[in-house]
Amino acid sequence: MSRLRLVLFGLGAVGLAVLWVVATTGLPPVGTDVHPYRDAAVAAAAAHATANVVSSINFDQRTFDTLGEETILLASVVAVTTLLRPADDERVEPPDPPPAVLPATRLAGWALLPVTLLVGADVVLHGHLTPGGGFQGGVVLATALHLLYLAGSFPALQWVRPTRWAPLLEPAGSGLFVVVGLAGLVVGAGFTAEFLPPGVLGAPLSSGTVLLLNVVAGVGVGAAVVSLLGQFLRQEIVIGPGAAP
Amino acid sequence: MNTVDVLAPVAVTGPVLLACLVLVAGRWLPRPVIDAVALAGAVGLAVCGALLVHATLAGDAVTWLGGWTPPPGAHPVGIALVVDPAAGGLVVLVGVLAAGALLFSWRYFASVEARFHGLVLLFSAGMTGFVLAGDLFTMLVFFELMGAVAYALAAYKIEEPRSLQGGLTFGVVNSLGAYLALCGIGVLYARTGQLSLAYVGETLAGARPDGPAVVGIVLVLVGWLVKAAAVPFHFWLADAHAVAPTPVCVLFSGVMAPLGVYGVVRVSAVAAPEVPALRGVLVVVGAVTAVLGAVLCVVQRNLKRLLAYSTIAHIGLFLVGATDGGARAWLVYLAGHAGVKAALFLLVGGLLARFGSVDEIDLHGAGRTGDPADRVAAALYVVAALALAGLPPFGAGLGKAALEESVPGALVPVVVGTSVVTAAAVLRAGLRVFYGVGPRPERRVDLERTSGEGEERETTGRLRHATATMLAAPALLLAAAAVVGVLPLIGRVGALAGERLADGGAYRAAVLGTGAVAGAVPEPVSWHPPGVVTGVLTTAAAVVLALLVLVSGRVPARRRRPVRRAIGPVVLGLERLHSGHVGDYVAWLLFGAAVIGIAVAAPTLG
Repeated sequence: MSRLRLVLFGLGAVGLAVLWVVATTGLPPVGTDVHPYRDAAVAAAAAHATANVVSSINFDQRTFDTLGEETILLASVVAVTTLLRPADDERVEPPDPPPAVLPATRLAGWALLPVTLLVGADVVLHGHLTPGGGFQGGVVLATALHLLYLAGSFPALQWVRPTRWAPLLEPAGSGLFVVVGLAGLVVGAGFTAEFLPPGVLGAPLSSGTVLLLNVVAGVGVGAAVVSLLGQFLRQEIVIGPGAAP
Repeated sequence: MNTVDVLAPVAVTGPVLLACLVLVAGRWLPRPVIDAVALAGAVGLAVCGALLVHATLAGDAVTWLGGWTPPPGAHPVGIALVVDPAAGGLVVLVGVLAAGALLFSWRYFASVEARFHGLVLLFSAGMTGFVLAGDLFTMLVFFELMGAVAYALAAYKIEEPRSLQGGLTFGVVNSLGAYLALCGIGVLYARTGQLSLAYVGETLAGARPDGPAVVGIVLVLVGWLVKAAAVPFHFWLADAHAVAPTPVCVLFSGVMAPLGVYGVVRVSAVAAPEVPALRGVLVVVGAVTAVLGAVLCVVQRNLKRLLAYSTIAHIGLFLVGATDGGARAWLVYLAGHAGVKAALFLLVGGLLARFGSVDEIDLHGAGRTGDPADRVAAALYVVAALALAGLPPFGAGLGKAALEESVPGALVPVVVGTSVVTAAAVLRAGLRVFYGVGPRPERRVDLERTSGEGEERETTGRLRHATATMLAAPALLLAAAAVVGVLPLIGRVGALAGERLADGGAYRAAVLGTGAVAGAVPEPVSWHPPGVVTGVLTTAAAVVLALLVLVSGRVPARRRRPVRRAIGPVVLGLERLHSGHVGDYVAWLLFGAAVIGIAVAAPTLG
């Protein structure tokens, strides 16, 4: 069976490689000035006073895809929570005493916590102006809390990390994303349409719903990553095999 | 704004919002409230779908989200949702099956903090988004949403290692399909500068297809074929169905896997009008899927695997019909099959709750308890099995009859044979389990075949009686399958939906706003005397075949041996290919993708 597997895999890989060559050699050349999508997307971003064109594409022109991706994240969190729920043959153990951590590491972890939180908030709140946005900023915010784990303090992490609230914040973030989309429908402009004043290009309060959706996504993504990492860490650290029921 | 501008986005995001609601409030709300909210969401989705069908009978409706309607001749930057009767009808199907699954699980899972309900609602949203998306990348996003939820639902019973195994295999194979589709979308985008399906098609239309266009489309179609469980991408489906909770199987078999066929038809009609070789390849893939599914269905003893292979066989028939003349018939067949198959899965779920097993041999005669509820379940199961064989007036029979009328003569034996053989296998298992027909097969240890013993229960403890909702859900779904066959409206809309789905030109015209092309109104799918006669005959054939198999247990073993010696090794070889080893499945996936790609590209590119 394993030989058949290798033969099939080899033939398939060679065949797909040939197809890939056929596909890519026939493509238009890279690096020319002709780029109809760029021209259209940049103009559309400018029309809604969104300085960061990538954010405009993600949170204005193609908001629906981002809504779908945010929902995938929500689904993944619910899925992981479901699959890692305590099984009948598992029980909670007190965590092993943490291995000794250098005082310098400990200090660095605690010192970087507020800095990283600040950076995360900055990335979220300026996503419509500069590279960044709700997804990236949300991940930074969530990782900030996990510096405490690196600093050697799992109990402190459990204390700081909003484990009780993260599982609620994540669906709340996704739900608010949908609500912002529906608000456009309610004011008659269409689903996920711009319904806030766009402001001046480059101003901190500009780009209308892009800023709002970035904040909502930041909350959702941050909570999602906290929940995900929290589940995995918990499974690794405090869940052990127990007696079969 | 018109109806579709409101309803299309609401159909996708409404279930997401409800899912968020039950996930947030789930820990405080009592279980019946959560059940009611989720059920209301599913029913609401079905109503939404019906309104979408009604709004698009005259022509496809397009809504550009966020107000990004492209001016005439300009490059689009936004996302369009495109609704036609086929898309609307599939939304109805998603809603109805989700409602059936939720109704059945009313007293089923000990669902912790409403996560099961949240997952089912998110799953419905994913399927709805995939159906309504008029954009290749949006299709992929919702394909992945469907997947992310489905892997978790398949592996829901975490105490069983094989459950996680089945979910993992499902996840690996479907993710690979999604990667291939993503590569295809990338190539198509690089070739055309577009992500909107209609604009991709418009850019490619009229020109001789080139390498990127053909390979890009083939890769996208392979992704959807993985979801459709077409051979040789079908391996995950039986494994996932065998381990998934039965209400989840209803959604997997009834609509999720068939949506793969929908995606194939949609993309090839709109974006690949100039690739004639594609049609022949898809017909061959469909026919092989149907035959292989039927053969493997017969040899199963795990009832859920048996039903899963029957689904694979029927999906093969849908693919054959959709690509070779049966455009007006296959959606009716799909709807009728969904109701019947859903009812069968739920009845098997009832067996699991009552008797703690889904093994045909282990359960021999188990259903003869004399309990009235078990009698009702037995009757429902037999009726559903006969409906699967094509018994009038059920929708599966109507769709099958129409398919036999429409496809070329050479394919009729495939349609008839597949439906007879799969229905006979389903009926054989039901007669054994519910009525104890035939001698009890010897309980031999079978290393080659997955048994259905030791399956984890989905209820807390063994149920002494089937509950009302556990019988009402399959009865209602079976009634819905009968409605599909009886209500002339459905035959009319089904034919229209199928023909319009195959008409990529009208779709492109609607999205580009270049004026609607009015297609001819197709002949409605309805019962004709020949269809009724073949329906009755195939049903009778399935009954006879099932009884023959059951009685053959009485034939002395030495008389049976020649038959077994002749076909045994072939079937055993086929079964051994379905090893459960994810590496094998991946190898087949790559091999199949390459073969399909070369078979399409070689004649097209010359």
